[in-house]
Amino acid sequence: MAHRLLRDHEADGWERSDFPIICESCLGDNPYVRMTKADYDKECKICTRPFTVFRWRPGRDARYKKTEVCQTCSKLKNVCQVCLLDLEYGLPVQVRDTALSINSNDAIPKSDVNREYFAEEHDRRARAGLDYESSYGKVRPNDTILKLQRTTPYYKRNRAHICSFYVRGECTRGAECPYRHEMPVTGELSQQNIKDRYYGVNDPVALKLLNKAGEMPSLEPPEDESIKTLYVGGLDKRVTEQDLRDNFYAHGEIETIKMVLDKACAFVTYTTREGAEKAAEELSNKLVIKGLRLKLMWGKPQAPRPESETSEGGTQQVAVAHGGMLPRAVISQQQNQFQPSGPGVQDQPPPMQYFNIPPPPQLDRAFYPSMDPQRMGALVPSHDGESKSGSEKPQQGQHYPYQAMPPPPEQYPTQLYPPYGYMQPMPPYQQYPYHPAMPPPQAPPATQQYQHSGPPRPPPPVSGPSTSAPPVPSSSGSAPPVPGPSADASGSSHQ
Amino acid sequence: MPKVKTNRVKFPEGWELIEPTLRELQAKMREAENDPHDGKRKCETLWPIFKVAHQKSRYIFDLYHRRKEISKELYEFCLDQGYADRNLLAKWKKPGYERLCCLRCMQPRDHNFATTCVCRVPKHLREEKVIECVHCGCKGCASGD
Repeated sequence: MAHRLLRDHEADGWERSDFPIICESCLGDNPYVRMTKADYDKECKICTRPFTVFRWRPGRDARYKKTEVCQTCSKLKNVCQVCLLDLEYGLPVQVRDTALSINSNDAIPKSDVNREYFAEEHDRRARAGLDYESSYGKVRPNDTILKLQRTTPYYKRNRAHICSFYVRGECTRGAECPYRHEMPVTGELSQQNIKDRYYGVNDPVALKLLNKAGEMPSLEPPEDESIKTLYVGGLDKRVTEQDLRDNFYAHGEIETIKMVLDKACAFVTYTTREGAEKAAEELSNKLVIKGLRLKLMWGKPQAPRPESETSEGGTQQVAVAHGGMLPRAVISQQQNQFQPSGPGVQDQPPPMQYFNIPPPPQLDRAFYPSMDPQRMGALVPSHDGESKSGSEKPQQGQHYPYQAMPPPPEQYPTQLYPPYGYMQPMPPYQQYPYHPAMPPPQAPPATQQYQHSGPPRPPPPVSGPSTSAPPVPSSSGSAPPVPGPSADASGSSHQ
Repeated sequence: MPKVKTNRVKFPEGWELIEPTLRELQAKMREAENDPHDGKRKCETLWPIFKVAHQKSRYIFDLYHRRKEISKELYEFCLDQGYADRNLLAKWKKPGYERLCCLRCMQPRDHNFATTCVCRVPKHLREEKVIECVHCGCKGCASGD
């Protein structure tokens, strides 16, 4: 009790606060979080004044985190009290300042008494309600910032620290050791200094980010001049067609927007090539809708094929039954499989390599079923290893004559074929009665769908753009049962 | 001559039977007290003390309440002399605390958020299966496990 009599906290300018200023990543994914508050528990790492320390656990697999710098310091730079990254963008101070060309560094003294005085003055003014000039809220985000910002919280930084005893080989705690038993990642990035990070000087992470920003590839317009379609990947059910429309209409007249929820992607076609190019240029790395960073790429033309994403993979066998629904999953799948070879806009060279059948002729909108050798069930010992017996009649050329590149290759490891090849004739039939019951289970198999590249989708999407509305619900509805049997068949390794 | 008052301890009957074990346990305690601290964490150095204390108390408790091999008089004598912790034994008589490791682990006043130590949580409700509580090194003292 003696200390309380000796020191008058208000006079000293020690800081008290009610809630920490922290970013989402540091707060954690658990909506129920218990936090302890300790007044004047530690000194701020920057200004060395005592402040209120909050300590909590940001999630089940996280270590305990506590506020490291005081609120005054964090407000001066608009950063999180724990990780010292910008509150809005999640970027290091140096990156944000160079991108937005803010330079407040001269105003903040860095040494000793000057610093403490400045901090106290600032604190006093803030408490008194005087509006100090905070430029952070008013600056318009520019391109670089949008490209670099973090859109989702990053919880990996909340993991436990590395067990230093383990690194030496001496950890005797074994299973109950709460620290991570991994080797540390050494390199230039590991020499970080909190003061450097705060003042935005000589920060290795920031330098790396800035270099990366400089080199971020912009979307090259494809050589094929007829392509007017952009592929948008990384969609979620939160993103609606209207959102896409709002984002894309500014650059040109939109001809159509086709959303393929199963593959979490959409295709936006413009009436003019210039519109598409303009959109690509402007939105290339900056497309963020509702917090989701979306990947933008050029759609790939592929003769008169409808977008292969909706490829009716497993339903080739029942194609006959659908009378006219024509999955050409073979070709589109094979092309999908080859995407990993690179963000190639042209699909010609890759598919050649493992097509045993000649690729479809690159005709615009003039593809006839009889031109597809696989149509009547010719066996193709392709990549899949499965024989795609069953009729796979290519679609009539009423659909978008392109095939966009599938989302990042990592979503399509090698599981394109199992669902496709393993499709028993029966399950697809069963899909239809399943429709009403399916919507709920749709979410959990979502990830499976990615892995299985969604080919095992029923024909509905293929039935034509005019009927795209009804097929979409059914396609999404029947997708779950489809990966089901295939997932089992393809072994539990995928799960 | 200075007045020297000695309170001579009068051992009740049955003492000879339990004395050897109690002496052994006391020796073990002395050993734990004199152990060097090298290679151990700060909290870890105290764990053997708690462990031996638990063992001593457990011995007396079992003899009287479970095996019923000693008389009440001898039992009270042991408690008075400090061979067992009376408060800990009082807790062992309550349902749910039969295996309590030490008195600190169940005291909510000693913990953040007024909870108990993690060793009191049954294993099937815990996320980490292998733990050593920081107070006494207990690996789990819930009655179910």
